[in-house]
Order: sequence, then structure tokens, then C-alpha cells
Amino acid sequence: MKGDMYLAWSSDDEVVKRADSGGVITSLLKFALDSKRVDAVLAVKARDGNRYDGIPVLISDPEEMIDTAGALHCVSVNIPRCIKEYLNGASDMKLAVVGKPCDMRGIIELVKREQINLDNLLLVGVNCSGTLSPVVAKETILKEFGVDPLDVVGEEIEDGSLIITLKDGTTKTKDLKELEEKDYGRRENCRRCEVKIPTMADIACGKWGVNSRKASFVEVCSDKGAQVFDEAVRAGYINVEPPNHKAIEERKRKEQEAIESALQWQETEFAPLKNIAVEEKFDYWQRQFSRCVKCYGCRDACPICYCKDCILEADRGAIEPGELPPTIMFHLIRIAHVMDSCVNCGQCQDVCSAGIPLARLTFMLNKELFDIFKYEPGMDVESRPPLRSVTDKELTMPGVELSF
Amino acid sequence: MDINYVPTICPYCSCGCGMYLVIRDGMIIGQEPWKEHPVNEGANCPKGKNAYQYIYSEDRLKMPLVRKNGAFQEVSWGEALDLIVTQLREATPEDFGFIASCRNSNEDAYVMQKFTRVVMGTNSVEYCGRLCHSPAAAALIPAMGSGAMQTSQPEIELADCIFVAGVNLQETFPLIARRVSRAKAKGAKVIYTDPRNTATARYLADIHLQLKSGTDAALINAMMSIILAEGLENKDFIASRAAGFDELRNFLSKVDLKQAEEITGVPLEKMREAAITYAKAERGCILYDQGISQHYVGTDNVRDHANLALLCGHAGKPGSGINSMRGQINGEGSGDMGCLCVFYPGFKRVGEETAKFFEEAWGVANLPTKPGLTYIDMLYKCPYLYIVGGDPMMAVPDVNNVKKALEKANFLVVQDIFPTEIAKLAHVVLPAATWVEREATHTWIDRRVQKVNRVVEPPGETKPDWWIICQLAEKMGYKDKFDFASAGEIFEEIRSCVPQYKGITYDRLENKVGGIHWPCPSEDHPGTPTMFLQKFNTPDGLGHFQVVEFKPPAEVPDDQYPYVLTTGRSIFHYHTGAMTRRTPRLVDEVPRGFVQVNPEDASKEGVKDRDTVVLETRRGSIEAEARITDEVRPGLLFIPIHFPDSCANALTISALDPSAKCAETKVCAVKIEVKR
Repeated sequence: MKGDMYLAWSSDDEVVKRADSGGVITSLLKFALDSKRVDAVLAVKARDGNRYDGIPVLISDPEEMIDTAGALHCVSVNIPRCIKEYLNGASDMKLAVVGKPCDMRGIIELVKREQINLDNLLLVGVNCSGTLSPVVAKETILKEFGVDPLDVVGEEIEDGSLIITLKDGTTKTKDLKELEEKDYGRRENCRRCEVKIPTMADIACGKWGVNSRKASFVEVCSDKGAQVFDEAVRAGYINVEPPNHKAIEERKRKEQEAIESALQWQETEFAPLKNIAVEEKFDYWQRQFSRCVKCYGCRDACPICYCKDCILEADRGAIEPGELPPTIMFHLIRIAHVMDSCVNCGQCQDVCSAGIPLARLTFMLNKELFDIFKYEPGMDVESRPPLRSVTDKELTMPGVELSF
Repeated sequence: MDINYVPTICPYCSCGCGMYLVIRDGMIIGQEPWKEHPVNEGANCPKGKNAYQYIYSEDRLKMPLVRKNGAFQEVSWGEALDLIVTQLREATPEDFGFIASCRNSNEDAYVMQKFTRVVMGTNSVEYCGRLCHSPAAAALIPAMGSGAMQTSQPEIELADCIFVAGVNLQETFPLIARRVSRAKAKGAKVIYTDPRNTATARYLADIHLQLKSGTDAALINAMMSIILAEGLENKDFIASRAAGFDELRNFLSKVDLKQAEEITGVPLEKMREAAITYAKAERGCILYDQGISQHYVGTDNVRDHANLALLCGHAGKPGSGINSMRGQINGEGSGDMGCLCVFYPGFKRVGEETAKFFEEAWGVANLPTKPGLTYIDMLYKCPYLYIVGGDPMMAVPDVNNVKKALEKANFLVVQDIFPTEIAKLAHVVLPAATWVEREATHTWIDRRVQKVNRVVEPPGETKPDWWIICQLAEKMGYKDKFDFASAGEIFEEIRSCVPQYKGITYDRLENKVGGIHWPCPSEDHPGTPTMFLQKFNTPDGLGHFQVVEFKPPAEVPDDQYPYVLTTGRSIFHYHTGAMTRRTPRLVDEVPRGFVQVNPEDASKEGVKDRDTVVLETRRGSIEAEARITDEVRPGLLFIPIHFPDSCANALTISALDPSAKCAETKVCAVKIEVKR
């Protein structure tokens, strides 16, 4: 039932061998497909076995599940967008989705905006200590580890270290903080992310607390999750045992440490922005935005953004068409539309043609809003984002004129 | 439901950015970032973000068309090709000209030049590289041994001074602009020459030298003379890696800086600041484009920038050099493949020896040994013309005159994806498959060879360009020389006779994100991101200074035509606009041609913002929408080149560079008045 915790692993030896942490996700999803609980699974796969290039794949053949086994730390696929844009928001198919906490949170925000049908989804979340951009990852591995990136068969982020496993089975370890101070290591949004265990999903899986056993620590986070998981156990796809007190404590400790580090990163990143003198702040951001080439990459990548007829489009009259750089309002409008619900997935910044620190700004503003509204984006499907919960009273206050 | 994310490379400018196409039921339904790609790391510019829209445009050519009684009729491939064969059999080698494109693949371009040389017996095969970057070869082969870009795109970030010469980087190469801003963030200084105060000038440049159009050589000579006066030349480099310095020094000793200030309109102090900044840099990187090359002195301009690089020792190391920035998907490759009247594949100069080499390689006899006609000459002189993937009616200066010439042509074949302006004049129009409708390689700006796979079916009767040419060759009786069943087979032949490509294979490209930089001499060679590390590619291995004397533009303003007209690009459109004008989002941004006018001139001429104005030169006149802006200084007007209804080249002058035969599309004299 909801709230249950397990140490779990696949009962299929082949899966255990190929997966990272006991293959519980692979076997759970294989069960979901076999038992027709879902029509398909949306997961991320290394394209042609390349660890630095992940693509979303829609799997309906249970035998293909094994191809998605194993964690990929050097890819950051935009899962919520894939469901919204290319899978009709799961309106006409039952879908199991595997993803990181930010993927799950993006999905939940889109559910609130009626762009994704949650009833049709089974959300399987994976603990996440962060991902690396593939280009930076390869550079980190080459320059800092002195290893050919093609020789790497696994990465791990554990206890403040980046650990890589090579073809020959050996591992190499580097201090993450040291790497990141040199601009290597994780994506910027991952460094400051404080949501490490995806308890907003139906099932949250991770390796914290398994104490190097080939198993995953599973927390069942919803009744829907409980039902599928229990059935998979009963059907013999998954072996479970209750975690002991030590395992639970260990998981909690690791999560806490990761959150501490994230909060430190937030401090490091936000302090310089907050400390800019008020009179210089506008100039600072104007300079950043002046590099914009109006590719709309940020808008399209944002999992919160969904209007079919976007006010920023050139034919809508809000932004002067054809102007380069676009007026700063282009950015301010976009950010105002999403900042109450930013899940810090970093996708906007990843794809910015101009290298503007968009995710940093949006997430920082989101934190400010949190202090006011106490709204945690993507955590609870029932809570309404501040922008969507404006009251009639607020709308009729003098000076408040909304024109949409 | 099934969806597939399939990687490909952007079809627009020559950065060669990666992207994913999302495919469902054989249709492209979206695109997504390809973050592993080393060129763009998941980012795409406005054109790149709308990359595939044009292939679904309703007016795609889908059937061969033959002009009958003045109107086009759809015919079978057989009928169209038979007609072409009948006509081409009438043509002597002197009568025939082939114009390939920067948009063709390497395989297409290779087959086209081979057809021209083997079947038609002439070297009159060219491509639109002639109109933009021919000065690169003319100037840089003598200077350093190659006209190609010398460093790789990622290495630009290593530079601590980037000299952006006549290229509005922010709009024309946005993903290279991002590299420059990354270098800036690490402390690099950016020098920029452009007569306009563009977004690049306002937001990327540290030092903007807003010179008068066409005065580049005067500026560079002045900068070099300042560097010498300050003793900032790189003496070790000059001594060990360069030749001809004494002549240059003697010449520069006569440079009058005051006069240079007058000619260029750039304050001396700014020139000095730029000169010293570039000379003192550890790694200076010149990125240049048509702003310096599209002049009748384009070759001189490039020579002079090469002089500057050699003088300061900024060549032959990663992140340095003088780098020609080719603007199209195969701007480099179509030249590499020999679509130039003076070069066989691999830049082997036309002549007895080269002809002999290819006679052996191809198993043929009597290959032409004399240079053919250049692009513009062909349009005026060849009664039989075959034009693929280009639109001379948009791209060539003085198009009204071109049109007169083409209307007299005996036989004009146009092979394209849309009914372009030139197609309207054709006798036969052949429908080509495009971009991801066929498998092929292209060679991008930094000699980066990448492969594009076929991901959707070509529509209607469209066929890959190489296939069409091979069919034609077969019908002309050369089946055994053009017996290619796939692009891959053509690439194998390319590898066998183009040494720069020898080590590159389809397999390697399939497995190497970002492709391979030529020269790549063997299959275990990683490719060459930086050229000239040890020595230059000249016969003596040295860099050669070439003294350049400043010459004023061919046509300067006078009482009748009192303004200077310059031309260029918008970020939202691409060259002749055939693709971007069929992309709704880009049309929404910039729907029509415009002219930038300085407020002072506007008030003098009574022009208000958004007025329709008439622009007139000695060649012709067009209408355009006035945009009043201080991006241009008083006396200068700017129009973009993408719009047939406001065709920039109806106005431009056909003054040709004597060495490169590139035209002066960047300066002419014009008048402006409000349309009555």
C-alpha cells in the first residue's frame, strides 16, 4: 500500500545482470506490459548503445524492456514534452513513464494544465543525484579522468563523488565539488536541485539504502503504484524484502546530504544575482537577454509551457516581429508565465542558442514565489499553481487588469 | 502509435548543427534538441528550429515539367530525360555550362562535375561558392595553401581576440556567435568590422570599426602599419613561417594614417585600439565572410586580412587563423568536389597533369585541360545551361540583365525542389528530393564532413540529384562511368580520388557524432580540426605576404545616385529565400523585403517608417518597405537578399573581382524616393 518500502530486485537473472540496481524497474514495467496494465512504456534508451546520447522510446513489446535497463547520467531527455507534444498527452493510451524527479514534476504540472491525462499514466520515478550534459561529460572524462569517453560503461554519483566504471571493470573517482568548481560535472540545474527522491511519482526507486546489494530501494507513493507493484511481486516478476532500519536511515541520510549540497549551490548561484545593486540589475539582465536570437528554444523546451497559440509568436502582436534581439518583454512575459511552476529541469537553459542563464533566473524567482505562496511545483497534483488560483477578489482589486 | 527520434544535421547555414527529427507514420512531426552534438549542444537558431517545414510546402515540385507551347506540362522521367539528351547532343563543349549548388550533397556535386567533364567535355561547371567565397581560394591558396576554414568551431573558444570581419555573426552564424560570447566570458576581446550597427556590433563586439562599405583594405593596411610602428609584429613567426615580409613592410611604410581615417571613416584611435588588441593577443582568430569578399576587390581584402594574421603570428594553432565562413550546408563540399571551372575534385588545378590523373582514375580519355567559364560568364555565354539547386535570378548581380541573357538561351534545365524564379525561365524543370529524403554527406564550415540519412520518403516523382544526373549520363552513353546504385558508392569513388577524404567512410561517419574534419588521409586518422600546425600548405611551407593596395569601390555615390547601397542577410531567412519563405514562422517574423534608412536621410527624402519606397540604381529599380533605423549611418542603405519582390540583385553592380570573378554585391550607388 501507499507508503510501503522495500528492497527489491528482479527475479530474472538476465535482467539483474544487465541492469544497474537489481533491475526492478525493468521487470516491473515488463509486468505492466505483459499484464496489459499499460499499452506502452515510455523510457529513455542509449541510442545505438551510446551512453552520451539518449532518446525516448515507446515500448510495447515486453521483450524490448531490457534494452532500456541501466542508468544514463549523461543525457537529459525532455520526457514531459514528449508526452504532451507527440503522445497526445496520453489521452488515448495507457502509458508507464520512467523518469527523474524533474520529469515527474513536469508531467504533474502539465496534468494540472490539462495537457496530460494522469489517469492513463503510471509514473515510475528514479532517484536522481544529477545529470551531466553529454558534451561536458565527455570533456570531464577526457580531461579530468584522463579516460577516453568511449571506454566508460557506467557512471555513478555517490557521496559527493563522480565515479566512472571502465570497460575493464575498474573504476575511477573524482570529487564532484572540485570538478564543478571548474565548470565540469553536473548540469547547473542539477547541482542546485533539492528533489532527489521522486515521491510525487507512483513508485520511487533508487539505490540509496541498498548498501551495494544488487537491488533497489523502492517506495510506493500512491495507491495506483501499490496495486501494480504488489501484483508484480505476486506474479513473481520481482523479489522483495522489507528494508531494515539501517537501510531507511541510510537512504534518508544520503538524501539529506544531497539536499544540503543543493542548497549550498543555490546560495552560490543566487547570491551574486541577488547582490547586484538594484540600479544595475536591469542592465545586467538586459545584457544577458541582448544575446537572444529569438529561436524560441526556451519556450518550446519548457515542460510547463503549453499554449497552442502563444502570445509570443510573431503574428500575435505582443512582440515586434523580426526584431533582433527581441524586446526584453519577450523574456519577461515568458518567465512570468512559467515561474510559479518551474521544476528546475534546466531544459530551457540547455537549449538556449545564446547561453543565457534562463533556468537559473526562473528557478531563483520561483524560490522567491515559494516564500509567498508556499507552492511546490510538481509535487502534488491537487495543489493549484498561484497563477491559476487567482481569486475573483484579487482580480477586481484596483490596478489589477488582466487582459487574457 | 509509434514515434521515433532520428538524428540529423540542420539544412541551413554551414555550422552543421545537430537535431532530432520526430517521426510518426513516415512524417516528420517535430524536432527536438540533440544535446550530444558538438557543434550546437542541443541549441538551434530560428531557422534551425523550423528546419523541416519547407519540405512539406504545398508547391514542392513533384513531377518533371516540360515547357510545351509556352506552358509547363507534367511528363514522365523518361520523356523529360530524353528531351534533355536530344538537346545536349546539340551542344558543343563551349556551348554548355553546369551550375551546381552549395545545397547539393558531396555525392551530387561530384557526379555533376564528372558529368560536365566526362560527358560534355568542358570544365564549365561552377557552383554558387563563386558568388560568395571564391576570393578565399584566390587569396588564401597563395597565402597559406588552402581557402578553407583553418580552425574548428569549438576551438574558436580558445581565442583571446576574435576579429569578426564583415560578418554579422549574431544573425548569420548564431551558434558561432555563442562560441564567441563564451570566449568573451573568459576575457577575449571582439573586434568587428561592419558599416552597419548590427546586433553583432551592439551586443557582441568590444570594438566596432564602422567603416565605409568597401574600404576594408585601407583599414587593414592602417592597422598593420600601426602594429609595425608599435613593434608588435610577431618577429619569430615571420622569421620562421612567413615569406615576403620586406615588400609588405616597405609598402606599409608609405601608409598615411590620416588618409586611412578619411577613406574608412573610422577614427584613428579606434583603429589603433583594434590593431594593438589583435596584435597583443595570444591567439587571434579572424572570422570573415561576404562583407569583405563580395567586392570587386574581394580577393585583395582577403589577402590583406591574411597579411594581418601572418604579421601577428595568428595562424597555425587551434583557435587562430583567417577563417572563411561559408554560409551554406555544402559551401565547402561542392568546391571540394570540383564544381569550379579551375579545379577538379580535391582542388587539383585544371591542366594537363590533372586531366591525366582523372583520365586514369575514371577510365576515360580527353578530359578538358583548359579552365571553363565562371558562373556569371556562363549565364551570359552558354546557350545550353543546366542549373541545379540555385537561383541565379535572385543570387547574381544585375538580374535584369541576366534575365535578358537567359531568355535567349537555347535550352535551360532547372533541377530544384521549388518553382524558383529561374525555374520560370526553364525549358525543362526536374523535381529533386531534398535533405532528409535521401542519404548523403555534406561538408560544413570547418571542413566537417557529416552524413545525413534518409528519414522520410521523397514525395511524388522526386529523385536525389545524383540519381538524375546518373540517368542522364546513362542515356548519353556513359552508363559504365556513372554506374552508381547509391550515394555510398559515389562516396567510395570520391575517397579514391580526393586525398582529403580518403580516410572518411560512411561507417565512420555513422558512428562519430559531429563528423570528421578533412584532411583525413587514412581510416585510422582522427581528422584535422586545425590546419597548418607544422607548416602551411604552400610549395615552400611558408605563409606568404601579398601586398595589397586599397582601391575604392567600383561605383561611388554621385548627384544622381547619392546613397551607398549594401546588402546582407536576416537571421530569419536564408539566401534566396526559397526555403525560409515557405516556413510560416519565419515569414511571420519578416514577411517582405525592406530597406534600412537612417533617420536623417529619411527626413531629407520625406520617407516615413513603413512607407513603400522605390530604390533605383543604374541597373534597375525595386520597391521595398522603409525601416527607419540608426543601424545604418547617414548615406548608407541596406537591403536583405531574400525576397524576389524586392530583389536586391536587381540593383547591384556586376563589377567582378579580376582573380576570383566574385561580384561587388556589397556596394553600389542608389537613390531612394517614396513611391507615389
